[in-house]
Amino acid sequence: MVESVKSHASTWCPGCGDFGVLAAVKKAAQEVGIPPNEEVLVGGIGCSGGIHNFIDVNGIHALHGRLLAQAIGIKLANPKLTVIAAGGDGDGYAIGMGHFMHAFKKNASILYIVMMNETYGLTKGQAAPTAPIGYEGNVEPPFDAMLTALSIPAHNFIARTFSGDPRTMTATLVEALKFTRGNQGYAFVEDLSPCVTYNDTFKDWRQRVVDVSKLEGYDASNRHTMFRLCLETMHSGKIPIGVMHRPKTPNGDAQALELKLLPDLIGPANADIDLELNREAYTKLLRSVG
Amino acid sequence: MTSPSAQATALVGEAGPALARTAKELNDLSILIGGQGGDGTLTVSDLLGRYFRKTGLYVYTSRNVLSRIRGGHADASIRASREPTAAAKPEVDLLLAFDREAVDYGRPDLAQDGMILFDSSVFQLEESDAIGFPFATLVGSQVGQPIYKNTAAYGAISILMGFDPEKTRAVIEDRFRRRSAEALEKNLKALDIGRKEALSHPDVPNRWRVVQGDATEQILTTGNQAVALGFVVGGGRFFAGYPITPATEIMEYLMRYLPPFHGVVRQAEDELAAVNMVIGAGYAGARAMTSTSGPGLSLMTEGIGHAATAEVPIVVADCQRVGPSTGEPTRHEQSDLAHLAHLGHGDFPKFILAPGTVADCFDITVDALNLADKWRVPVLLLLDQALCQNTVTGTPFSLEGVHIDHGKLLNREELEALEVYKYYAFTPDGISPHVPPGTPGVFSQVTGNEHDEFGHVSVNPVNRVKMMRKRMDKLSYAKSDLPLPRVYGEPGAKLGFIGYGSTWGPIREAQENLARRGVPSRFYQARTLFPVQTETLSPFLDSVDQAFVVEHNYSAQHAHLIQEFLPQYHDKLRSILKYDGSSLRASEIIARVEGR
Repeated sequence: MVESVKSHASTWCPGCGDFGVLAAVKKAAQEVGIPPNEEVLVGGIGCSGGIHNFIDVNGIHALHGRLLAQAIGIKLANPKLTVIAAGGDGDGYAIGMGHFMHAFKKNASILYIVMMNETYGLTKGQAAPTAPIGYEGNVEPPFDAMLTALSIPAHNFIARTFSGDPRTMTATLVEALKFTRGNQGYAFVEDLSPCVTYNDTFKDWRQRVVDVSKLEGYDASNRHTMFRLCLETMHSGKIPIGVMHRPKTPNGDAQALELKLLPDLIGPANADIDLELNREAYTKLLRSVG
Repeated sequence: MTSPSAQATALVGEAGPALARTAKELNDLSILIGGQGGDGTLTVSDLLGRYFRKTGLYVYTSRNVLSRIRGGHADASIRASREPTAAAKPEVDLLLAFDREAVDYGRPDLAQDGMILFDSSVFQLEESDAIGFPFATLVGSQVGQPIYKNTAAYGAISILMGFDPEKTRAVIEDRFRRRSAEALEKNLKALDIGRKEALSHPDVPNRWRVVQGDATEQILTTGNQAVALGFVVGGGRFFAGYPITPATEIMEYLMRYLPPFHGVVRQAEDELAAVNMVIGAGYAGARAMTSTSGPGLSLMTEGIGHAATAEVPIVVADCQRVGPSTGEPTRHEQSDLAHLAHLGHGDFPKFILAPGTVADCFDITVDALNLADKWRVPVLLLLDQALCQNTVTGTPFSLEGVHIDHGKLLNREELEALEVYKYYAFTPDGISPHVPPGTPGVFSQVTGNEHDEFGHVSVNPVNRVKMMRKRMDKLSYAKSDLPLPRVYGEPGAKLGFIGYGSTWGPIREAQENLARRGVPSRFYQARTLFPVQTETLSPFLDSVDQAFVVEHNYSAQHAHLIQEFLPQYHDKLRSILKYDGSSLRASEIIARVEGR
């Protein structure tokens, strides 16, 4: 066995919500049975984005806000890889907002986990796009990723979890990973992951989270219903969590981007570019130029 | 011909004019076609190009359109000659004007014995060298739609220049047959109208006679198409881009070419996504490229630095246009070099390669893919609007000379023979042997943060210095791998030219014209712009008394870059600059050399 890079101890503050995500990602990957060398973790910039260093898998640390673009590039280059992008809410919803919106539309079968804590912890506590009015002088209303995700009609899996409930989080990640590994499309999971140093919301969130699946009329295949349930929950001062969207149509609909582009799932990185193998086809292509 | 449409449009006047005339022979001719966008100026240029190619001439076409779908002044120029050419002819022999603006725009370049052919249903021109036919009115009344006036004008030109009637007609059939029977019929009618009108005018038929050429095996192509083809045969399999003039065609060609080879082309939401998707694909093991122009390149800059530090191979093609900001999207300039040579924040290596001809675009794109893969360094292909979009006849592309170099990609045995696999292992030439993610048995960590050999984030000062040198020293180690310059002209000549990109065409033409006047010269065509090729530039500059650096920008960017690395040649360097949005012509270069 050739020795290669090993994970190291996390750099997070004791008690950080991200530990819950780290544990859940490890457990879920094990439960789903992902061969570690086929797993690629794409980290964003910020505390949470270091997660790829703390697990024994392949990792790439993307530029601030660009982890989704890199993750989609990886998936399309080698659709056999299980690609998980993981970063913070500043990375995803501020500098990376353009890619955040388009990832739903693109629908490549990757999992994106946002560790949401309403703050920029690594730069010492500025307001994130999700910060409530009043936090660190914030005067702008908070951005809500679930409402936004629900507004884009694509074949996606959408959920919100809470680091204070690791069991549900693991179960949700298992479902999300099965969704992406089955080439059904894009999975987005926002985890409420408090920053214990700059915005310790553990106690507050534990009191306010509401599992939407327990609400009357819950139907994760109906965006209209879920949008209404989310809004109503938020209006009552609570935070909706749970699976927000689970497409009704079964596997095999070829909705995922990689299936549309590479139906046999042989991606560019696996394609043989040897000149001799392609000589005939290349010659034909070059002769077609006039 | 047996179809009904053929009968309705039988060719007229095969015998030519009653009046005998000695036609002036043209072996290098230039036609400028101007009008409003939507007038079909590009169609006329395309039809003429097809005709000239049928007669074995070399063709070079350029266009000047505004950045809008319809309307505004648009013109197209076409040059046909017995000798290969890659530049616009200094003077225009025939100006075809669909509106008055075309006359205002084109007259200054009209040759002394040139003439203007204009659409007299749009405007009048009472000048001795101008002849008008009411193309739009005639075609409108006889074909039903005035838009076919462009084909009528082509018909008139065919009489004026004594074209072969069969070939003239075959061009229309080639072009419109596939569109629809109706389009073909209407265009053949319009052709006939134009021919009849021209034949009825005493001063038009056989005014000129175009010579035959021997360039029968040539293809008509563009730099953008050559880059796309080079990408495919060079093993490029992932492309992401965002539409931007004048680079878009690279993406459009690849959308056609790549899918049969398990290749992927994605139109990204912006250039930030495009370059980062390419980084992701390059990391995963695919040969990946994006193409853009100046504004997009500004957005991609952070990503290019990231790729260099993370040692992920990517290729970025920059089709330069007039900048800064939105500048002039459709117009020609070479003003991104200073930005590229000093790219981004922090120090990182990159190679800047610059093809000068369409054939070079094909070859150097293959080189770019190999170099990126081997050296794990971002490779920038520096192109320009004229090279990217002007069409030119050239030898068909071939696979001769194409090779695939994976560098230090480890196969299974090589990997298993290692005791420890490190993505950033220190090696004498800075290249770390590597495998893509997904390879059984090993992991990698890849990052744009400073890192140790394993890819763990590190701020250790000793490691920092070693890693900086590992990356930056590739600039020295790779030098002998990079495309060499081509030097043209007479070895003993004391007059030198230095240029890159599309200046190749006008500089070569200027050299030939100067040689005919007894002025020998040498031309150093730079094909690697960074790292600056001091090893070849020095002897070249030693051999000449002065060297004109020919480039399309305000601030002499290429000349300054050379001086940055070779300050001792300061006194020998002169600049020929043009930044009005159009390409240089040989006559302009000669005028500057002669101090005019």
